[in-house]
Amino acid sequence: MSRAPRRGPRSKTFVGLYLVAPYAVFLAVVYAVPIIQGVRISLLDYVYAAPGADVPQPFVGLKNYRKALSDPQLRRSFLNILEFLAINVPLTVVLGLTLAAVLAKLSRLKTFFRSAFFVPFVTASIAVIGVWYFLFSQSGFINHALGGWAPNPSWLVNSRLAMVVIALEVTWKQLGFYVLLYLAGVLLIPDSLYEAASIDGAGVVRQFRAITVPAVRNVTILVTTLALIVGANLFTEPYLLTGGGGPNGASMSPALLIYQNGVEQGKPGVGAAIGMLLTLFVLLVAGAGRGVQWLVQRGEERSPGRDREVSPA
Amino acid sequence: MSRTLQRLTTYGFVMIGALASIFPLYYMVVGSFQLKADSAFSGLVPRPGNLGLTNYRDVDKAISLLPSLANSAIFTLGTVVLTIVVGLPAGYALARLRFPGKTAVAAGLILVLALPFQVMMIPLYILVVRDYGLADNFLGMILPFAVNATAVLIFRQFFVALPDELFDAAHIDGAGELKTLMLVAAPLTKPAIITASVITFIGPWNEFLWPFLITKKHSMQPLAVSLGEYVSTNAATATNPYGVILAGACVLAVPVIVLFLVAQRYFTSAALGSGVKE
Amino acid sequence: MARMRTFTAAVAALACTALITAGCSSGGGKGGQAKTGPIKIWYSNNAQEVTWGKATVAAWNKDHPDQQVSGEEIPAGSSSEEVIGAAIAAGNAPCLVFNGSPSAISGWVKQGGLVPLNDFADGASYVEQRSGAAVAAQYKSSDGKYYQLPWKSNPVMIFYNKDMFKAAGLDADHPALSTYSDFLAAAQKVTAAGGAQYAIAPAPTNEFFQNWFDFYPLYIAQSGGKALVDNGKATFDDPDGQAVADFWSQIYAKGLAPKEKYNGDAFADKKAAMAIVGPWAIAVYGTKVNWGAVPVPTATGMPADQIHTFADSKTVSVFSACKNRQTAWDFLKFATNQDNDGALLNTTGQMPLRADLSTVYASYFTAHPAYTQFAQQAARTVDVPNVANGVAMWQDFRNGYLKSVVFGQQPTGQWLKDAAGTVASDIAK
Repeated sequence: MSRAPRRGPRSKTFVGLYLVAPYAVFLAVVYAVPIIQGVRISLLDYVYAAPGADVPQPFVGLKNYRKALSDPQLRRSFLNILEFLAINVPLTVVLGLTLAAVLAKLSRLKTFFRSAFFVPFVTASIAVIGVWYFLFSQSGFINHALGGWAPNPSWLVNSRLAMVVIALEVTWKQLGFYVLLYLAGVLLIPDSLYEAASIDGAGVVRQFRAITVPAVRNVTILVTTLALIVGANLFTEPYLLTGGGGPNGASMSPALLIYQNGVEQGKPGVGAAIGMLLTLFVLLVAGAGRGVQWLVQRGEERSPGRDREVSPA
Repeated sequence: MSRTLQRLTTYGFVMIGALASIFPLYYMVVGSFQLKADSAFSGLVPRPGNLGLTNYRDVDKAISLLPSLANSAIFTLGTVVLTIVVGLPAGYALARLRFPGKTAVAAGLILVLALPFQVMMIPLYILVVRDYGLADNFLGMILPFAVNATAVLIFRQFFVALPDELFDAAHIDGAGELKTLMLVAAPLTKPAIITASVITFIGPWNEFLWPFLITKKHSMQPLAVSLGEYVSTNAATATNPYGVILAGACVLAVPVIVLFLVAQRYFTSAALGSGVKE
Repeated sequence: MARMRTFTAAVAALACTALITAGCSSGGGKGGQAKTGPIKIWYSNNAQEVTWGKATVAAWNKDHPDQQVSGEEIPAGSSSEEVIGAAIAAGNAPCLVFNGSPSAISGWVKQGGLVPLNDFADGASYVEQRSGAAVAAQYKSSDGKYYQLPWKSNPVMIFYNKDMFKAAGLDADHPALSTYSDFLAAAQKVTAAGGAQYAIAPAPTNEFFQNWFDFYPLYIAQSGGKALVDNGKATFDDPDGQAVADFWSQIYAKGLAPKEKYNGDAFADKKAAMAIVGPWAIAVYGTKVNWGAVPVPTATGMPADQIHTFADSKTVSVFSACKNRQTAWDFLKFATNQDNDGALLNTTGQMPLRADLSTVYASYFTAHPAYTQFAQQAARTVDVPNVANGVAMWQDFRNGYLKSVVFGQQPTGQWLKDAAGTVASDIAK
């Protein structure tokens, strides 16, 4: 089949299917059932019944959704996520790309710096959170340094600042990963482009804006998407750093509410409903329809010269 | 003059970033050697009288490190291998090929990424344990992580970013898609493969909840689980509970950092140059 | 292919649905009652309980070659309830779990995961005879059956740091901590310049169970032994509840307790001069802290032998996934007989929930005087009410407590009134 003429439309269709099939099977075998089950649970008064147990699971329509939406904590948690994203995404993109571009150009200590940025990402959350606690607690490092300027109430129990601290912590923990992604992208840019720009007299900053930024556009889209997903699934930080989304729900996250409702309190229906709302939120923020379309078509659109056949779908 | 200044600014900039990044590791290491927890500001500077290996000894006594490490290795490497073998072709197909059902696969990928794990956890557990019968089994442990969705996205993005000329050249040479992928695209995506592998590695390596749910036999538990369990219950009885947690975190972090240092040398642009430059 | 996959997914979902509603797996029904044979059990993973668990299993196995018991450890603390809940749904729960939390029982019953002990001929009588009918009644479910055997308790008391009290000029051997005003005075003195950072440091976090270690024991004491709800109604919207809420809100308003989570054990790290803990703490704090223990305070003081407190007990249940239920029941009786209860007391310092605790093990308490006052306290304990949706109820209670008492954003009276309504509607569902 690999020797088939390249313009054979059927062969191309087959190859695509063939390559993606194992992954599709994986999605179907491992995730289709839990996802469908999640949707179903959100519409039932559900109980995780033991096999053989006779437990009624009546269909309740959108009751779980209404219950979830009537909880002021849920509205607060979605606003918290928006606040988180407003801080996290711009910081991540700017710092990630700048650091990657600088790293790519360094002649010395490259390995040291690359590893240094990566350390927070690989370190277990519990240790990282311990450090942030040490920095931002009432009698912590930052308040020591600020002296009389320290915020009152302190960072982690201040309803205005708790989410900011969490957003900074996550940005910092994830940054090394995004630097790595950007770095792999930056390294794919041919040196000749920079050389040509250099000959034309473009400075470092102009080269960065005219060559690097557009060249890694794909990585930026990836980074933004992943940052959005990380933000939407925020759990460990509000759980451990601010004592369960405190103070007073100021750093409550939807994932923490899912855990409380669906796992701890035995209300899987409400938990699943929040999960669906959160997924909807992610898809809305990411521009759902366009996102998927983009995912499907962008590859081909990049190269108008390439041949492609009309999709039967 | 301006060049020196420029270089100084550059190094100053990355240096500040690097120090901010390394600080927790430093804190973790110092804290893990403290005999008595010192959360004061001055505790940042190690005091010789307060240092020792007690915390590490406590951890080692409670957990059989080597079998746990072996379990972690099986769990993690199994995931990485499956992610590359299954995810790389999928990423390629999603990036470069057109085929029926593509929208469904793409949507599934995004959904898996976007849907919070807390929603899927119990249904997934029931599926794997009750329907597939994979409790206390490495396959059951690996399955939900088997093909890392982030890695598939990374592969896809990098195949999209590769210049078209490469593919056109291969096509003109008469290579089919499979051959193009194997001979042309895959070698070029080495940075993506390594990035994706490192990312994939970290997930299962640090994962507590899933392997914990799926394994009840202690001989099956990966390091993160045995450490997590030890920390959650027994650390309180240790002489320096917080130090023990930090020591555990150090033990867990070292293999990943070593792996990253080894992977480092593959991130060189030289390997790419020949293929991309005309 | 796309259509094909959708089809596969639909079939898989249908199969799954069928499995869950109809139940094709083994372990259902009541067929397993009288059977004997090998069983699996889980016990908690803290070092002392593992020691006890292994010894008890070994002793049983020696005499019962055809009914071997194999034990595994599960985590102590809140995550163990999640593990058990998931195992029930997946059908791979063990026969017995020696770490049940009374707050989780109603949920497991709803899941169909537990066997009522009344199904065994001597089930109810054994429970009532071992713990005493009055104590046992607290652990009865709403259908009048026992789904749990009340196993052991950790009655909470106030631990105080003698060295800190001495340094603050307080009486370290007989501290005045029995009334709220005495407690507050001592708290202020011990935190005065150069003293402890905090007087006491209950976790100000929002886990549903945290009120068990601040509001609830004091309310139980103040009310003379009332649970949070009684007959489907909240009890705490009364002068007693008001007094306890005001006491804690003064503690927080005066900065005597941290509003911020402390990473670690504030009492062990000598950041806090007092703590609310059970007898497990004796082994943990041991010689690290020079401690003393007194009963929890009440508004105007009460004799120590009249003070009730929170039991913080653990129970044992037989799970419906168990096939050899007779062996499970026999092993449960074996593990909670007088000898093995004594061994539990000896190795863990936790109090077996036996009516005759202080008389049967009199020699133990003579040898270990530190445990004596906990044993006396164990006679007057109240646990969490055995109601439906208990965890949701505690979570709502906790959220309001943090807002009103800890952060002072709502008058305590208003909160108690609101919480009484919320609690009643939570448990009515």
